[in-house]
Amino acid sequence: MDITPSNLIYNELIGLTTRVIDSTNPSLINIRGKVVDETRNTLTVETDGAREIVVPKMGTIFVFQIPTRSAGGHEVKHVKVNGTLLLSQPENRIKNIKKNNMR
Amino acid sequence: MARQRKNQKSLIKDLAAQRIDRLFELAHEEFRQNPQRSDRYVLLARLIGMRYRIRLPTTLKRMMCKHCRSYLVPGSSSRVRLRGKYITVTCLRCNKQMRYPYKSISKVEEDNPA
Repeated sequence: MDITPSNLIYNELIGLTTRVIDSTNPSLINIRGKVVDETRNTLTVETDGAREIVVPKMGTIFVFQIPTRSAGGHEVKHVKVNGTLLLSQPENRIKNIKKNNMR
Repeated sequence: MARQRKNQKSLIKDLAAQRIDRLFELAHEEFRQNPQRSDRYVLLARLIGMRYRIRLPTTLKRMMCKHCRSYLVPGSSSRVRLRGKYITVTCLRCNKQMRYPYKSISKVEEDNPA
């Protein structure tokens, strides 16, 4: 099973390329780079200039690029995610499947 | 209802196993430039395994120091020596040793399948 838009919020975010398209802190908008670490409330993004920026999940909208394996070679899909959905410890995030399906 | 719950459980375990594999891949990629990140990824993989009760496969378990949980690469962060009846792996960060008996990894995996 690959990373799909529907299971992205339960999957591993470290290693994915992301871009911040909206944030309550305007100086974080348009940050682009690779996710290198994750905590309960933040993602650490490494930009092209090898700068590590800690972006809070709360109040931020991310666009993740997920690789898809198609017949025509490598393509990427862009998925817009509200950071509030990602709020939980990385190892606890899979558990939210239960919570979300029950409702 | 019961079946649905069962399916969900296997789905969760499946996802968790994939994430563990992915984290070890990432640890391998990052080791050269950011070894502290590798340690962090390995720790996260272990936490996922503990939370969802998945055993780390033997091959992956041996890439981690049993004492300080750092990512081990023979030659750069660990030293591997054959000694009598067992193999000793020394972690070069905490200088502690792990001892593994001579038993092929395939056989170890047969004994306790992942």
